[in-house]
Amino acid sequence: MKFINLLKKELSELINKQMILSLVFMLAIFFIMGNVMKSATSEIVEEASSNKLSICNMDDSDFTKDMLEYFKSNGSKIDLITADEGDLASAFNNKSKLKSYVVIPKGFGEAVEKGEKPEVLSVSKVKGAAALSNMSSGPEGTLASITLYVSQKLAEQQGITSDQLKTIESPLTITEHTVVADKSAQISMSSIVSKIMMQNMLLPIVVMVLIMMTSQSLIASISNEKIDKTLETLLSTPVSRGSVITAKMLAAAIVALLNAAVMMIGFTSYTKGMMSSMTADMTSSITDSATESVNSLLSTGDALKQLGLQLGACDYLLVGIQLFITIMICLALSIILGALVNDSKSAQTMILPIVMLVMIPWMVTMFTDVSSLPTAAKAVIYAIPFTHTFTAMPNLMFGNTSVFWLGLGYQFVIFIVVMFFALKLFTSDKILTISLNLGQKSRFKKSSKTNED
Amino acid sequence: MANVLEVKELSKQYSKVLAANKVSFEIGEGEIFALIGPNGAGKTTTIRMISTLLTPTSGDAIVAGHSISKEPEKVRECITYLPDEAGAYKQMTGIKYLRFMAGLFVTDIEDINKCVERAKNICGLGDRLNDKIGSYSRGMIRKLLLARAVMTRPKLAILDEPTSGLDVLNAIEIRKMIKKLAAEEGMSFLLSSHNMLEIEFVSDRVGIISKGHLMVTGRTDELKERYNAPNLEDVFERVVKENEVH
Ligand SMILES: Nc1ncnc2c1ncn2[C@@H]1O[C@H](COP(=O)(O)OP(=O)(O)OP(=O)(O)O)[C@@H](O)[C@H]1O
Ligand SMILES: [Mg+2]
Repeated sequence: MKFINLLKKELSELINKQMILSLVFMLAIFFIMGNVMKSATSEIVEEASSNKLSICNMDDSDFTKDMLEYFKSNGSKIDLITADEGDLASAFNNKSKLKSYVVIPKGFGEAVEKGEKPEVLSVSKVKGAAALSNMSSGPEGTLASITLYVSQKLAEQQGITSDQLKTIESPLTITEHTVVADKSAQISMSSIVSKIMMQNMLLPIVVMVLIMMTSQSLIASISNEKIDKTLETLLSTPVSRGSVITAKMLAAAIVALLNAAVMMIGFTSYTKGMMSSMTADMTSSITDSATESVNSLLSTGDALKQLGLQLGACDYLLVGIQLFITIMICLALSIILGALVNDSKSAQTMILPIVMLVMIPWMVTMFTDVSSLPTAAKAVIYAIPFTHTFTAMPNLMFGNTSVFWLGLGYQFVIFIVVMFFALKLFTSDKILTISLNLGQKSRFKKSSKTNED
Repeated sequence: MANVLEVKELSKQYSKVLAANKVSFEIGEGEIFALIGPNGAGKTTTIRMISTLLTPTSGDAIVAGHSISKEPEKVRECITYLPDEAGAYKQMTGIKYLRFMAGLFVTDIEDINKCVERAKNICGLGDRLNDKIGSYSRGMIRKLLLARAVMTRPKLAILDEPTSGLDVLNAIEIRKMIKKLAAEEGMSFLLSSHNMLEIEFVSDRVGIISKGHLMVTGRTDELKERYNAPNLEDVFERVVKENEVH
């Protein structure tokens, strides 16, 4: 009953208008970002699949006319571009949506007929600094069509059949295989890697934000109570110190859970947009085998399963447990850090140790594999408890179960140790007398000196 | 008269300072006792030890039969403590704060309501109790905290500088309230203060503390007589000076 009273108070302190507003704001940002991504990428996809050829024709030979007719009869739409002589940029002024085009200069047809290497100009425009703004199929589609047509014509000249030509152009039949641990699947490595990266990006970011928000709120809660002396009042009432500390931790954990849920929802909607952008990227980069690559992408899920990279329900449960222990460690740490605060200024900087403990392993695990580091660095990184949160997912994916359990066990031990100190701090009078603040200490010294005077 | 508080040679050593040195005194039922002393004398330290917030380096104190070092949980049921310069939860309304604090002492809804009702009458904040504490003035917060310190009828209310931050009229009102509660309900009070006038008016007995030593204790008129001084301020001055000569 008293505990519920305490918990209600802590929750009402954490869940206020500000917090709800920031949650809604966060959700809104994710949704907007996701939708922007989707619309931006769908444009690209549309463009890639529309089979539109942008050509600026300056050659009036029969060969070129035949070629354009051939393209039309094959179902391609031809977008004839007009550009001023010697001014390639002018074409973009005439057509605002245009991203790239190919110029067929005078004498193109003649050159082909003579068996020379004819010249074409490929023109693309840089639209902006953003990744998506420049992502387009470019003039490759148009160029590929022209190349194909010309090489066919050249082959005809030499008396080579189109089947023979195909064999010469790509004499090898390549099937891509990817191996993970002891399993292999017929899929290109790049599509597997990009899929894994997408999956493994989500959790660490959620963990990061969650840890920051949760520790900040708990540190603030404890340090505020210390500064306002409401903690002294609270500790002089007939409630156990354990329930004071548990109420604070539980409230922070509940709010963390709420945040996690919101972030997960937001992130999935965001990554959906990202995923479709990746699909678009692939179809556009391999125009010739576009359909093939889409097919292989659709089967990525199956391939992941075949490679044992797909996490099952049990794995997700383990990741959840790991996340829970991570949050508990950061809560226990926050209690100690909050207790060290004596004025509102130091309350702001007290989160720094936790930020460091999270940022370092996050960066390291993002860019490299910890087990490949030199021994000393490896020991340091593994000693940071949050490292094991970031390596949990890959460890489970790649079947390093024993490493995962070691990490989890280590985190559990760390939690017990930190919690022990936090409780000790609260049950002794250290909670009121401890201080890291040098300014505060010198004030005590001064006042004791004036006493002696 | 039974003693509500018996302090026995209580000492507290901070890392560098001996803030309380073998402090001993007692408070009877319905008595108002005041600790007076210069800044840094060790008043707050002594009070915090009796409130079970600090563990004494040596010595003990018995509150209503319970030792502060052996049974601090039992002691906390008999006391309320109002820290010097304390604040309250800013996002709560006054009334919510009272309910929350009452809920830490009693669990029955009816008892909680009784406590809150009492506090409402004592603090005199009226409708402002429905406002957030963040919007209160210092004096209003002090009155709210004082009301909450006495609403549960503790055997011993420990108030560190109860009238600091209050204007003269409000301070007088608070003094009257303390005297009334002691006389009518038999509540005991342990106060600390700098204001000699206030102490002379409100307290039955005083203890003069300096550099951690409790120099003298006694009734105000007794002390005035002993030191041949016209008022408590002079007594205080003489005791502190005498101590420095040593
Ligand atoms: N947490 C602490 N750590 C170290 N020394 C402390 C601490 N708190 C108080 N002191 C020292 O103990 C001595 C007594 O302090 P205390 O707060 O009890 O004085 P006080 O009588 O309440 O003074 P004031 O009238 O200014 O409130 C002072 O010298 C002070 O510097
Ligand atoms: Mg004090």
